[in-house]
Amino acid sequence: MITMAWSFVVTPNGAATDNPAPSGSTQVLSPRPSERLTSEEKREMLRQLYLARYFDVRLIKEKKKGRLTGTLYSSHNQEAIIVGSLFALEPTDWISPIHRDMPAFFMKDMRGGWDRPGRMSMSVEEVCCQVWGKVGSPGRARDNWSHIGSREKRIIHSTSMLAGTIPVAAGVVYADRLNGGNAVVLTYNGEGSTAQGIFHEAVNFAAVHKLPVITIIENNQWAYGTPTELEYSLPDFARRADGYGIPGLVADGQDVLDVYDKVMQAVEHARAGHGPSIVECKTFRAYGHGDHDDDRAAKYRPRDEVEEGRSRDPIAVAKRRLREQGVISAEEAEQFMAEGKGAGEAKDADFPPEVVAYLKRGVDYAIKSGLPPAEEGSMWVFREDHS
Amino acid sequence: MSVVAATAIKKNFLTALKEALIEEMERNPDMLCIGEDIGILGGAFGVTEGLQERFGTQRVIDAPISEAAIVGSAVGMSLNGKTVMVEMQFIDFISCGFDQIVNMLATYHYRTAGEVDMGVVIRGPAGGYGGGALYHSQMNEAWFAHSPGLKVVCPSTPSDAKGLMKTALRDRNPVLFYEVKQLYRDTTIAEVLPEGEHLVPFGQAAIRRAGEDVTLVTYGQNVYHCLKAADVLADQGVHAEVIDLRTLVPLDEATILESLAKTHRLVVVNEAPMTCGFAGEVVARISDRGFELLDAPPVRVTRKDTPVPWAKPLELHVLPSVEQIVAACHRVVRF
Repeated sequence: MITMAWSFVVTPNGAATDNPAPSGSTQVLSPRPSERLTSEEKREMLRQLYLARYFDVRLIKEKKKGRLTGTLYSSHNQEAIIVGSLFALEPTDWISPIHRDMPAFFMKDMRGGWDRPGRMSMSVEEVCCQVWGKVGSPGRARDNWSHIGSREKRIIHSTSMLAGTIPVAAGVVYADRLNGGNAVVLTYNGEGSTAQGIFHEAVNFAAVHKLPVITIIENNQWAYGTPTELEYSLPDFARRADGYGIPGLVADGQDVLDVYDKVMQAVEHARAGHGPSIVECKTFRAYGHGDHDDDRAAKYRPRDEVEEGRSRDPIAVAKRRLREQGVISAEEAEQFMAEGKGAGEAKDADFPPEVVAYLKRGVDYAIKSGLPPAEEGSMWVFREDHS
Repeated sequence: MSVVAATAIKKNFLTALKEALIEEMERNPDMLCIGEDIGILGGAFGVTEGLQERFGTQRVIDAPISEAAIVGSAVGMSLNGKTVMVEMQFIDFISCGFDQIVNMLATYHYRTAGEVDMGVVIRGPAGGYGGGALYHSQMNEAWFAHSPGLKVVCPSTPSDAKGLMKTALRDRNPVLFYEVKQLYRDTTIAEVLPEGEHLVPFGQAAIRRAGEDVTLVTYGQNVYHCLKAADVLADQGVHAEVIDLRTLVPLDEATILESLAKTHRLVVVNEAPMTCGFAGEVVARISDRGFELLDAPPVRVTRKDTPVPWAKPLELHVLPSVEQIVAACHRVVRF
């Protein structure tokens, strides 16, 4: 099943092909927006791939050491989707990440610097506090894992009801438009959630009102324990977009530049007032649904499928493409060999030192932080001081 | 005609609601309305008639038929600073938006530790006795009273409809607002609305009739059944006090307890099914807080635990009646 999914967008050497023009009636503004990126920006993308990967690796290591409880939902092998899509945004844009996008909560608006004052993102300290269930979490540890958000930083609060934030995202940008803004919103969804009624209802609503909602489908081939052939019967979700009269694009989810190109096309389309798009990013879930599922996933997924799905590590693909474009040297491509390594094999030396230091800051902060006081459990059911 | 005479016109329930919406839309430029057929058509019952002409298509939004997308988008609009009135074409259809209400809207303030508040009022026509059958007769308020974070309102008079709606639209908590559609154009309850800024606070029940022998607690359409029962009982020498809760969440326990300190007998009436219905909640709360006041076990008069059927004899068979309320009062008085 996975071979068929890959063949549509990817050549055997792993480079993205020219996809067919997006379906829907609207002209795409720039065929390859990534050609406008500077070499420095492309190197930054690679650095951010390491950062997203290291977040995952570090949390798994922390849990193995017994310093962390709670389920981890790995984004390993899907980092190009997070980095490439966030790179297409302006600081004032909104995002709506889910459980597989945990790094997005602190990597939003990172293009202009990781510690820039006023960055429209959570800090790595806040996100680590959330992972550890500490009071310093933006949601004061009231719900777990990715169920946080920030109105101020323009991150929509996720819940367990997948695709349920798409209508919320639509409402956010509807209001933004009335407020005179020009923000777009990226909603992240697994392919599993596309079977939900609310997916259809919300995308249809956004299409009718021409709202700048970009629905990213991270098609990682597995919805918990259910393979794609039991989830949907289309080769590409781009065709589903036809049903809403909006563009549908397919990206190689392992290639950060291809993700950036497709998401940027959708962003430009939305920013110009033409409304929503669906961007399917084809990828593969490296581990179980959550780490509680790792052992069972090793049984319900054929070994050769997992090997193939993990064979195009987004860090390796990015290095190859940047090397082809002369952005990085052969020596640089040999540095920091995190690619292809699971959390058990990857060492800190496989990552740039600034990446390790950045995460260490968050982890150390979270471990030292306190738990929320018990009485907060009954607070904030209602807002009391309404006016 | 003098100005005084012009303002003294009696208005029905529906007109009162419409006045509340118009006044709040005028007062608050960040208020939006969204629902099915509320703009071009003016709503299935006409509550929003003229609103789109007056405030434009951007603020009065005709949405595709999806209660879930309507509620979800209202949540997003509120997240980005708006106050949103959501119309359910019939309150029965609210189940199609249930997840967005109980998991997204109701919990937003809680799960963000107070960062985000929700200015969303979900209102719609509710209730039976009109031959609406299974899917146009429901009172499903208990679903939402059971979901922490939602306020639940059910007015019975035009002036309460207006005053409670205006309060709801200024409350930065989500509100479920049950409108008794049988009362929308009922001329017998039309009344002159209070002048000026008319706000009815949440959590304050109204005593619709004073009495010493038994306390009838109810809301919405059943207020009128209870008042009729009180007339019948008075002829039989039993004086019932009728309390109209107006809001279920928050619940005015104090007014009920004060009444029971006088009557010592409680009958609670609602037209929703009995099991886990709001009448049961009132009885439980009073048992917790005022058991020593009671001289008789409290009694519930509710719909049978059935759907609401269509044919008239069937419908009347399952919904609470004046006769049942009278009988219940005699039962607690004679205990």
